Amino acid sequence: MKTVAKAEPRVPAWARSSRMIAIYSVVVGIGIWQLAYEGLARTPYFEAYAIQHFLASPLQVIETFGELYRSGELFRHSYFSLLEFAYGFVLSVVVGIPVGFLMATQKKINTCLDPWVSCIYATPRVALAPIIIVWFGLGIFPNALIVFLGAVFPILLNTYTGIKSVRQNLIELVRAFGGSPLQVFFKVMIPDATPAIIAGLRLAVGRAVIGVVVAEWFGAEAGLGYMVYFYSQLFQPGPVFVGIVVLVVFGILSFIALDKVQGWISPWYAYQVRREVHGMEME
Amino acid sequence: METPASKLVVRNLRKAFRSQRSEESVQVFEDISLEVHPSEFISLVGPSGCGKTTFLRILDGLISHDDGEILLDGKTVIKPGPDKGFVFQDSSLLPWRTVMDNVILGLELQGVDTREARRKAGGYISLVGLAGFENHYPHELSGGMQQRVNLARALIVDPQVLLMDEPFASLDAQTREIMQAELLKMWNQTRKTVIFVTHQIEEAIFLSDRVVVFSARPATIREIVKVSIPRPRSLSVKRTKEFLDLADRVWSIIQDEVLKSMGREREEGMR
Ligand SMILES: Nc1ncnc2c1ncn2[C@@H]1O[C@H](COP(=O)(O)OP(=O)(O)OP(=O)(O)O)[C@@H](O)[C@H]1O
Ligand SMILES: [Mg+2]
Repeated sequence: MKTVAKAEPRVPAWARSSRMIAIYSVVVGIGIWQLAYEGLARTPYFEAYAIQHFLASPLQVIETFGELYRSGELFRHSYFSLLEFAYGFVLSVVVGIPVGFLMATQKKINTCLDPWVSCIYATPRVALAPIIIVWFGLGIFPNALIVFLGAVFPILLNTYTGIKSVRQNLIELVRAFGGSPLQVFFKVMIPDATPAIIAGLRLAVGRAVIGVVVAEWFGAEAGLGYMVYFYSQLFQPGPVFVGIVVLVVFGILSFIALDKVQGWISPWYAYQVRREVHGMEME
Repeated sequence: METPASKLVVRNLRKAFRSQRSEESVQVFEDISLEVHPSEFISLVGPSGCGKTTFLRILDGLISHDDGEILLDGKTVIKPGPDKGFVFQDSSLLPWRTVMDNVILGLELQGVDTREARRKAGGYISLVGLAGFENHYPHELSGGMQQRVNLARALIVDPQVLLMDEPFASLDAQTREIMQAELLKMWNQTRKTVIFVTHQIEEAIFLSDRVVVFSARPATIREIVKVSIPRPRSLSVKRTKEFLDLADRVWSIIQDEVLKSMGREREEGMR
């Protein structure tokens, strides 16, 4: 035993956790941004280059947020974007998982669809967006279609890989105990492919958010992407940053939600992670 | 009709694997016939690749055979089912299921109510010495514990015959001996008919009433060695002269076959 008592740490344990450190890091970053802005505002360059038209300070962003919130404008744009996101994403799930499954299990379907999937997946959406707007006009549905085009492939491809890499010995196990093909499907294939499918959903969220913004740049009368574009044309950086921040927060919340879903349906996941499939493309 | 004295009858079994790409086919069984009595413990030994796993899979009905017949209680085996329990070499536990839910798998597949299945599983989990681990996931268990789950899972469906494919192969020597003794204890309680595949001659003799020695591929039954060491057996019988003589005998038969199979493989390799 040491005789000298250790000095009590001045900071309590919870305040030194890695989560808190992450929060400090963000707060300090925002603080530096604020101070830099204030500093810049005191120099002659600020006026000379009209910096207020390109940059906003965190406090100004918060202020603008309040204004846009009160006027209802923020809600209108967010609602529009959320609908596009939701329609596009749900459609991606409804199409991506079954098609990925069929491609993984039916050789003929795979042979027929594979070239299409590869081609459309390889086409940049930025190139497809204008033509879709031209065909279908402005509105939620053409935009949701652009979201769908971005989000469906990670879901489809991960479902495909997930089903393909279901362990054969587990399938044999269920068969050996008299399991029917349907039982093999629900008791082995689905659970064993779930982590890969969820990894696909995570990738899809990011691509869907990009899809929302791209779609709204090319044609929309509302939406967060539209708002960002619109105010940047007016050289008003406040609303631009508000739009960006809301999109980022939305993306992060979706990730957290998916993590929760994952922890809920697959508590064995930490063990699964070591399997290679899930290393693909993530983060 | 079969005499009721035989639990399991294999008659003139033939099996070949045809490869999809070439015309070639691998003849695994030439002509196998075997009768197993009720409550008999049979071990299957033979050179690697001779078809032991394939034999069990055919007995279970997981794969088809070309010729011959297999009767369990006088009825032809056509597909897997609850009358047969399979213990896999790698424990093959479902990683997303707890010990409890892995054990009830067989009952669940038969449509038994989950609550009832769980009630029943408690006894089998205790039987294999895992009481208290019901809610653990497979990755939280040691290899030996996983094999116990594997065993409980096969026992709970109350099969007519238990097919075990090198269940202890991945265990260390000590755990293996303990598991052998435990298996015998359980067998004494349940008196199942067991077909037990192993590479270890000692293990085969220690556990079995008869040891079936397969020849190199295409496999036939080279010899059936009767083990008349009285039961219950303790681990110390492994040092008796009777035991060691039996082991020598089985060993020399297998050695012949292994040399044959290695010779043939070398020939095939050179072609
Ligand atoms: N599905 C299959 N398709 C084609 N050939 C197969 C198949 N399964 C097994 N074989 C072949 O059949 C032979 C017997 O294989 P099996 O796995 O039954 O041997 P084993 O006696 O269990 O070997 P080991 O002792 O190494 O486990 C081998 O030559 C193997 O290559
Ligand atoms: Mg084998």
